[in-house]
Amino acid sequence: MPQPRFDRLSERLLRAGVAPRHVRRYARELSDHFDDLVREEKAHGSARELAETRALSRLGNDDDLADAMLSRPELKSLTARFPWAVFGLGPVVLLALSIVGGLYFEVWLINHTSFVWAWFHMQPSPASARIATKIYTAYNTLIIYGGPLLFAWLFTWMGSRQRMRPAWIVTGVVLICVLGGLQNLIFYDTGCRGCGVLLIQSGFANGIAWWDKGLHFGNGLFAPFPWAEGLARVVLNLIIAGGVWWWLTVRKKASTAVAFHTART
Amino acid sequence: MRDMATNPSFMNGVPELLILRTLETGEMYGYELVQAIQVRTNQAIKIGEGVVYPALHALESEGMLKSRRKLVNGRTRVYYALTRKGEKHLSGLVRHWQHITDAIGLAIGGTVHAATAL
Repeated sequence: MPQPRFDRLSERLLRAGVAPRHVRRYARELSDHFDDLVREEKAHGSARELAETRALSRLGNDDDLADAMLSRPELKSLTARFPWAVFGLGPVVLLALSIVGGLYFEVWLINHTSFVWAWFHMQPSPASARIATKIYTAYNTLIIYGGPLLFAWLFTWMGSRQRMRPAWIVTGVVLICVLGGLQNLIFYDTGCRGCGVLLIQSGFANGIAWWDKGLHFGNGLFAPFPWAEGLARVVLNLIIAGGVWWWLTVRKKASTAVAFHTART
Repeated sequence: MRDMATNPSFMNGVPELLILRTLETGEMYGYELVQAIQVRTNQAIKIGEGVVYPALHALESEGMLKSRRKLVNGRTRVYYALTRKGEKHLSGLVRHWQHITDAIGLAIGGTVHAATAL
């Protein structure tokens, strides 16, 4: 629920690095407390305006309320305390986890969905191999294309929520777009039982994994990283993330202008 | 005592002590807690009432308090209650403050007052 009376205080606390959940709760609690104080003052016979003035004075001025929160570093968010970790290391860790997690889940799916084929009375054949290849290619595409963009949105959301400097947000988004574009997952089924091939291709290493009822890592067994495709994906990621950023900025400016105009009229 | 409100260095640790001690009697929401503190201290210690919330948040993040939302008269309130860890911390704080007040009592009056309940 918005607490317009404490908007300025909330904004100040967010910019100073206080965690958004504490800021939201603080504003809500102050607002409730203010209402209680007004009710109490009115019960003692004060007119509404006087009751509000007294309530604000009892609650404390903006500086006191802000100082009380800012004097407690434990209420600051991780994003504000360690921006280099969140926006610098975060993209690397998130991407690595999503690729490795996605890969292991894929292996689990391959190993545990044979009953689906049995249910359709499908035997290993070129036809079933084509279907499996299509399904897992769609899954890989989702991880490889969707993952980095989802994480880019996550960094943008986290950064703007905490009122971080745009430089930090841009760092996180660019890192995730570049690193994400330079990874690849490939699956193809050769049509015989246990002969599927699952590859990780990375622009940063030649390490390649393949699946044969387990996950093994080898080196140089398959084609090297397709740089042209990887770079094209980096550019595509950056265009999409930049486009969304630009659209959000324009929308925010427009809504601020409308609010300013409404406030003046 | 009223002057203490204008001297923040005097107040270090006081809000925590008062909050924990007051919540010992049962869970309360912010406004209720501030009123209870004022009654308990005979309005001798005046702090900006809103200043109590950062202390509550900090005590909660340290595990001394737990909070829950409760719907009362159509409004959702955040109620705070003492945890076991908070109870232990409170007894340590009380001992510490009694030691200090005894020492100050000695310094200014030459006598040690018996520990009084807050």
